[in-house]
Amino acid sequence: MLHSLALKNLRGKPGRTAVLMILTALLALTVISGTIIVSSLRSGLSSLEDRLGAEIMVVPYEATTKKSFENILLQGSTGYFYMDKSVMDQVSETEGIGELSAQFYLASTSSGCCSIPVQLIGFDPETDFTIQPWIRRSFNEPLKENDIVIGNDLNAFVGDTLQFYGVDCRVAAKLEKTGTSFDTTVFTGFDTIKKMTRASIDKGLNTYKGVDPEAVVSCLLINTSDERSPEEVVNDTNLHNKKVRAVRTKEMISGVSDSLGGVSRIVGILMAAVWVLGGVILLLAFTMSVNERKKEFAVMRVIGASRGLLARTVMSEALAVGLFGSLIGIALGLFIMLPFAGAAEQLLAMPYLLPSAGKTAALAAAALAVSVLTGALTAAVSAYRISRLDTGVILRGDN
Amino acid sequence: MKKLQTIFGILSGALSLVLTIGVKTFFSACDHMTDTGAYMSCHWAEQAVFAISLVLCVTSVAMVLMRDPKMRSGLAMAMVPQAVITMLIPNVFINLCMKTDMQCHSVMRPAVMLLCGGIAVCAAIAAFLGIKAKEKA
Repeated sequence: MLHSLALKNLRGKPGRTAVLMILTALLALTVISGTIIVSSLRSGLSSLEDRLGAEIMVVPYEATTKKSFENILLQGSTGYFYMDKSVMDQVSETEGIGELSAQFYLASTSSGCCSIPVQLIGFDPETDFTIQPWIRRSFNEPLKENDIVIGNDLNAFVGDTLQFYGVDCRVAAKLEKTGTSFDTTVFTGFDTIKKMTRASIDKGLNTYKGVDPEAVVSCLLINTSDERSPEEVVNDTNLHNKKVRAVRTKEMISGVSDSLGGVSRIVGILMAAVWVLGGVILLLAFTMSVNERKKEFAVMRVIGASRGLLARTVMSEALAVGLFGSLIGIALGLFIMLPFAGAAEQLLAMPYLLPSAGKTAALAAAALAVSVLTGALTAAVSAYRISRLDTGVILRGDN
Repeated sequence: MKKLQTIFGILSGALSLVLTIGVKTFFSACDHMTDTGAYMSCHWAEQAVFAISLVLCVTSVAMVLMRDPKMRSGLAMAMVPQAVITMLIPNVFINLCMKTDMQCHSVMRPAVMLLCGGIAVCAAIAAFLGIKAKEKA
């Protein structure tokens, strides 16, 4: 009886019900959108940390002054830089090196010789410890000659053929989404990438300042052994090798981490502001609605309704409005945030990885609980007031 | 019932109009290449979506203006596959760009899919309401 009375009341005043539902929908929309943004940024940063995979990077000194290596790794720009291969032998002599592997960078172009302008990263399958563990999640076989592994944001599929500087490459695997610039990168073995580099020199498309692709590498990735800390290895490497610079990957992503903290704080403040504002508006809306209906409630009291029944009617109405409004808001939020994740990533220019389906469902449930609870709490004030109603005064028209 | 059918007809018309204008403005495909000036394949997907969205606009206007609920239902039913086909144009019937972080993948495709989904649902409800009204009569 109580539920049907509350629902009849809501149906009887469609305008008032619609306004209350829109308010709770907006509240739920803000909560779900904000939490998805913050959660995606956090997942993106954690994914970036995982994907860099090494404690230290050694790059040519010029690359650090031009910031080109950070742009390639963190911003998704395409480019290349090289240093003599002999640096690898010098660095390997540094005390405290646990794992050491070289990488070779190349950028494809948008001209006819390449299927797509992307960053190409070549790795040494013998020593690599950063890319192969990640590749193994999608492809657990050794890469053959001319095999490439592509990032998740490239619109090609396993078995497709992509051309780079006239070299036809087979897509052997497509990697999992990381939410970072690695999603638009192509990975391959040293042999294939050097073949591409030679092809680009032969075609006259690049000169690479006259470097011999066989005699250079782009960067060295290092994981330290337990004997020494990464800080000590970085200092030692920088002290003994003047033409290169060793940097800790944690320091490289500290800028991204700071920006992420800033964006998360702004989103958090906005969410809190909307939540407080929404709560105040809902409180006013419920108070005004109950004030309008004082006579209706007084008549209900006269015909035998208890104080508790009146309070429960108001609460049932608030819960019904809150539940439907929140469900609409959450559905709308998910319909906007999930398909437009790519646009959000572009807009924020930061690593952005959507949470898993399970986590998204948990966030949606939390947003539902928060908005329904806010609606219920604001309605509780009105429910309390209506339960204290003096029927005589109301019906005499003195109030 | 007829009023409700008109409301869903107007809704699908409004969504079709947003699709027609939007695909050429707010959520258009990628710009042409800066070096060669050539259009990428996503441009042709945009053109195809624009052409079918014009048909959707005309069909929904006709649906709202018609008085016969049978005709209205027929037009609404025709809009459902039209909307579904339009939804499939970007990257299924016509390939988009190679990088999925580009405008055509990150903005145009989700916007077209959401709007076409909305049009299909509204048109299906309008068709259903027309059939129900006919049964009652």
